Order: sequence, then C-alpha cells, then structure tokens
Amino acid sequence: MKIQQMAFMLIAVTIFFVLVGLFLLGFAFSGLKKSATALEEENSLLLVTRLANSPEFSCGDAFDNAGSNCVDADKVMVLSKESERYSNFWGKEIPNIEIVKVYPYDGEKICNEGNYPSCSTIKVFSGAQTGYYRENFISLCRKASENGESYDKCEIAKLRVGYSEVGA
Amino acid sequence: MNKKGYLEISFGWLFAIIVGVAILFLAIYFSVKLTGIGEKTLDAKTGKEIGILLNPLETGFESARTTYITFPVNTRIYNKCSKNGYFGKQIIQISQRSFNKWTETEVSVSFENKYLFSNGIVEGRKDYLFSKPFNFPFKVADLIYITSSTENYCFRDSPEEIQQEISNLNQANLKAENCTPSQINVCFQRGPNCDIVIDYNTKTVSKNNTQISFEGDALMYAAIFSEVEIYECQLQRLMRRIVSLASIYGSKGSFVSREGCNSNLEYDLLILSNMASNLGSSRDLKLLSLGVEEIQDKNEANSGCKLW
Repeated sequence: MKIQQMAFMLIAVTIFFVLVGLFLLGFAFSGLKKSATALEEENSLLLVTRLANSPEFSCGDAFDNAGSNCVDADKVMVLSKESERYSNFWGKEIPNIEIVKVYPYDGEKICNEGNYPSCSTIKVFSGAQTGYYRENFISLCRKASENGESYDKCEIAKLRVGYSEVGA
Repeated sequence: MNKKGYLEISFGWLFAIIVGVAILFLAIYFSVKLTGIGEKTLDAKTGKEIGILLNPLETGFESARTTYITFPVNTRIYNKCSKNGYFGKQIIQISQRSFNKWTETEVSVSFENKYLFSNGIVEGRKDYLFSKPFNFPFKVADLIYITSSTENYCFRDSPEEIQQEISNLNQANLKAENCTPSQINVCFQRGPNCDIVIDYNTKTVSKNNTQISFEGDALMYAAIFSEVEIYECQLQRLMRRIVSLASIYGSKGSFVSREGCNSNLEYDLLILSNMASNLGSSRDLKLLSLGVEEIQDKNEANSGCKLW
C-alpha cells in the first residue's frame, strides 16, 4: 500500500516539476521571440536608411546631380524580376521591400514591364503582408526620352522595408 | 544476534530521500542546461546585433567609414566565410568570457550581404571596424575590416594617398608614421621588422610566407587585415556578387535602350560575368582587371547614358 502511495506521489511530483519547467521555458522563449523581433525591427530601421546606397539600388554616377539616397528605378525594375536570388540577401525576416512613388502622384498601380514607368509601386520583394514597415524618402531616378533625346528624370519616392514578427 | 533494526528506515524517510535526491538532481541539471542556453542565446544575440550594427557602415559617396564596438566583457568574434548558396555567407560566432572561461560557440549568425575581413578570431573588449567600397568596375560591395584594439598596425613608407586615408580615418590602432617593432609593421618597401609586405606595383601582399594578389585599395586592406583563407573565400563571394550585378546592369542596358540610351556594354558585361564566375584564386585578378578597366572606360565614354 505504501509503495503504491509512494509511486503515485513520485508521479505527481514529477508532473508538477515538468509543468513548472514548461511554464518557465515558455516564459523564457516568449522573451526570446520578443528580442528577436526587436532585432529585426532594428535591422529594418538601419537597413532602410542605408539600402538606397547598396549597389543593387543606388544611382551611382549614372545620373547627373544624383546625390545620396538616390535609387535607380531601371535597375530596381530589373532586380524585381530577379528577386528570388535575393530573397535572403538582406535578411530572412525581411519579406517586403518596395518603392512607392510619392510625387508626382501616379495613382496606385503596381509596376510591371507593361506599364513601367507609368506606375507608382515597384515591389522588389512581395512577401506576406502581415509585417510592419519602416520607410525612408529617396529620389527615384530613371532614363526618359522626349523627341528622341534621352534625359534623367527624378521623382520623390519612399523606400519601404517590411519586417515580420519572429515566430508569428 | 538480531540486527533487524540496524538499517531500518521509516517509509517517510526513504520517500523523502528518494524524492529529495531526484528533485535536487533535476534542479541542478536544468539550472546548468538553462545557464548554457542563456549563454548561447546571449552569444547569438550579440552576433546578430553586430551584423545589424554593420548596416551603417554601408558607404554612400564616402571613400571610407570607421566606427568601433565595445563589449561589456572580453569577447571573441569568430569570422567564418562559407561559399554555400548563391552569394555565399558571412558567418559570425561569438564567444564571451564568463566565469573565467570562454562560452561555447555552437550558435552562429549568417549574412549574405556582408563581407568581413579579419583574422579568424578577433579578441578584445573593443574592436575597430572600417569599411571601404569595392568598385570592380561598378560598386560591388562595402568591405568591412575588423581589428582588435589590442592590435596596432603601422603602415611604413606608404604612398601619399594611403597615408592621407589612414590619417583621415583617425582610427586609434592604425598609424602611418613613427613605427615601432612592437606594432604590426605593414611595409611598402622591404626592410627589417616587416610583418606584412605590400608590392604596390605587382599588387601583391606577402604575409606568413604566402602571397596574395589584390586589385584596388579596398582589396589591399582586405589582404592586410584578414587571414589568407578568409580573403580567398570572400573574394569568391564578391565574384558571385559581380556576376549578379553584371546581369542586372546587362538587363538595365537593354531596358534603357528603349529610351534611346544605348550603352553597348551587354556583351562586355557577359564576358566579365563569365570571367568572374571562373576566377580560381586571387592570382587570376590581374587578368580580370584588364577587362574591368576596358568596361569602365567604355561606361565613362557613354557620358549621357552611363549604366553605373
């Protein structure tokens, strides 16, 4: 009888400590997820301020009078077609990078080869729309032509970097 | 002789001892495990934070940028390079001094868009980082050089522009004059106490009885500050980025030709891409640089329709 009582007690004590352990682990990992998300937020914040200067986006010397934070729209259009290769390039938790033209306003049209440049949003990566965004103003430049003469055309746009919650 | 009562323990005591031992054992076991997990979490978090803090080192129009990181405890940064994946990976592992021993480093963080040049292990409480854009012929990436504050480099007999750059960087562990044998002597002319010898004409860096080639100052610094294996691996990763960027510029060339802008560089970029993807080691850089110079000249000549 006493052995039976002891066995039951041992099982009860073990279950109790397993439950306490699970609770503590759950608590610890929820903190871990929060700090991982905070790191992704920090990454996207710093990334959005410097992304315009990365070689895949920047104007370089292709346009006259192009300063810092200048994005080459023609290059980004090409990049959007090759986005699979770059899917993890700027971070695994960065599912969305897009450029939205602010001025002049051209309606809400997503750019593709057919309607470019008469469109407003170039989606470099278009992952799930569940995350949050960080934005930065940029000048969006491209080559345009009039009467057979090509010239540089720059417009005001926003570079948006999305990030998702870790483990969401 | 009746010794029945000699080892007689009541059931309550027996139960308390068994359960007590089990609880104590489990408590100690899980505390040790949780401490280990905590240390690994901290190492992984620090590694990720370092990677994130490297973002502001992306240069715009600057020729170089410098910054530093300080750690609360003595820290080792393990710099590893992997060629896996399309762009390869920059891997960082962190180990920190805790209870007078180094934490184990199984957790690593990886980045596809970073290129760190340093020794395999950078140890200290303060590390300096400086970055420089690598153009070949277009901007390929910002190369980041990590040095520990405990390592002092002195650039002996360096050309004027290198002296100027070192002076402008104002990084405490880099000097271009008054070299002493206790420093790491980087010599531009052979002489006594040289740890690293640069031949600016043949574009080679000799260190630890090995010779590696470079093109441009960004790769020269990379060869100076990093281990040979890391340098060669990162160079292969940079070549993959060149292949990708050459493809983007090639497509851009066709794209802008609709607007009357003909760069006529598509074929040259294709050749550059093939040569870059076939680069065996830094020794092949010389051959590649000839093509790069030609493409650069052609792009410059297209004044109204430059691709980059």
